[in-house]
Amino acid sequence: MSDARGMALACREVDFSYEEARAPIPALRGLTFEVGSGQSLALLGASGSGKSTLLQVIKGLDPPEAGDVLLDGSPAGAAGYAELRRQVGLVFQTPELQLFAASAREDVAFGPRRLGWPEADVAAAVDEALELVGLPPDRFGGRHPYALSGGEQRRLALAGVLAMRPRLLLLDEPFVSLDPATRRELAKILSRLRADGVTLVLATHDVDLAWALCDQLLVLDAGRAAAAGPWDFGESGRELLAASRLREPFLVELWRRLGRDPSAAPRTAAAAAVALR
Amino acid sequence: MTSPSAGPSDPGAASVDAPQAPEPRAPLLDVRGLSYRYPGAQVEALAGLDLAVSSGEFVAVVGANGSGKSTLARLLGGLERPAGATLALACGHDLLTEDGRMAARRDVGVLFQNPENQLVAECVEDDVAFGLENLAWAPEAIGARVDEMLERFWLTELRRREPHLLSGGQKQRTALAGVLAVPRRVLVLDEPTAMLDPAGRSEVLEAVRGLRAGGLAVVYVTQEMDEVVGADRVVALEAGAVVYAGSVGGLFGDGDLLRRLGLGLPVAGELALELAAAGRFLSPLPLTLEELLAVLGEQT
Repeated sequence: MSDARGMALACREVDFSYEEARAPIPALRGLTFEVGSGQSLALLGASGSGKSTLLQVIKGLDPPEAGDVLLDGSPAGAAGYAELRRQVGLVFQTPELQLFAASAREDVAFGPRRLGWPEADVAAAVDEALELVGLPPDRFGGRHPYALSGGEQRRLALAGVLAMRPRLLLLDEPFVSLDPATRRELAKILSRLRADGVTLVLATHDVDLAWALCDQLLVLDAGRAAAAGPWDFGESGRELLAASRLREPFLVELWRRLGRDPSAAPRTAAAAAVALR
Repeated sequence: MTSPSAGPSDPGAASVDAPQAPEPRAPLLDVRGLSYRYPGAQVEALAGLDLAVSSGEFVAVVGANGSGKSTLARLLGGLERPAGATLALACGHDLLTEDGRMAARRDVGVLFQNPENQLVAECVEDDVAFGLENLAWAPEAIGARVDEMLERFWLTELRRREPHLLSGGQKQRTALAGVLAVPRRVLVLDEPTAMLDPAGRSEVLEAVRGLRAGGLAVVYVTQEMDEVVGADRVVALEAGAVVYAGSVGGLFGDGDLLRRLGLGLPVAGELALELAAAGRFLSPLPLTLEELLAVLGEQT
């Protein structure tokens, strides 16, 4: 088992269907892609294309019907796979709905405690996670989760996952309904995790944040990979984005319209300003 | 009644919804000192809020999480009882009384964020008809109205489609068609594009922007600064009260206020601010890609 901060993820020919009364509804079909350790992947695609399902299959909440989810190269059933799976963190859409404890500290401690960590380790992990999401434990640790603002609740829920020190972090639409300031803070947190080497898979409709945060993309179309790999803003890449109900990131379109190379477009407004100054 | 002509894809051009003409200049929404407190909450979700919106106006409402935007949407729609107000009129109905709120629910349509929770029927056209059936409209009248709504929101081809087979944008347009099938004078939207992919977002936004041409008063709650740009006016909330009411340019030109309220600029404006920090000043402040390209072009 690797002790690297990041974890490599690969899916090979993964199939998954939802049971329905009449017939199973295929949600993922022959899905193959990989993300290297410490890399970040934007998971894009229309609503209903399978993004949330894929995250749940990777986390192991729903076992695939066929194919393999490889964590650090190991398939399910291999020795140590349960531990690898434990090191995968999944942040659900609107995770704040799952906050339940009487204080922020207790809520974040729930996961590490359930893993049987010694209480001193739990306390250290909770402090670290609260600090990381910008809710310093001395100020926020004792607060009731419902006494926090919506943006603080979202960050608290993220801390609950980060406290278990995931090596692969899966996020399902983490930016939905956040105000711009909270969105910027969350993007900063994710960018810091990425710099620390944590592997990220970010399911989102926000192509601008996906471009800012992710090296690669996986575009899902009805459960199949319409595209997987580096961003492609050539003609076929643009057609694919449009066919998948997406658009080019703002800075990429700006670069193209300025007659510059869109694949060399900056990832952030600050970087764009340096180039245009 | 006819509306000012607009582009062929402009859904507002189809017809005017208002069953009778409002008093000229009398605001359709007029609330002063509006307050609300959730049961058991320490602080007021709305604390003395003032807002007036007239026929044909598109007003964006912005503010940080927890500033009271969604509460305001529910109160304007007559869905909650205000804790108090010196004046609380929606289309002339008094929101402080039960009868007034019941009447307001007829005239004020509310569209929420998650289209999944708003679709009830087996297929698109039945969903659009649902509100009219509840009002016991004659079947022929329902049929004609539903056809008109499907046409207006580009849903005619999807009329028999089951809701779960629709894209997010199609679902939200179906919900919108259902809300507006009942003739309304005010439409309140609470982050209607938050769950949608970029294409769905553009579809819904285009549909909504066209509506004011039909005389509807539109209140549009959003966290997307790009979506504020086309509004006639913008209202910013903080701790349940209005702290800015004015032009879009005025809000985005006030960096201190934006920071204090946890808001931001559209991407084009953000880039312009970064450029200013790097020593290149763009004026006027661009808020869209086109404006940014224009001002960059002038300067080179």
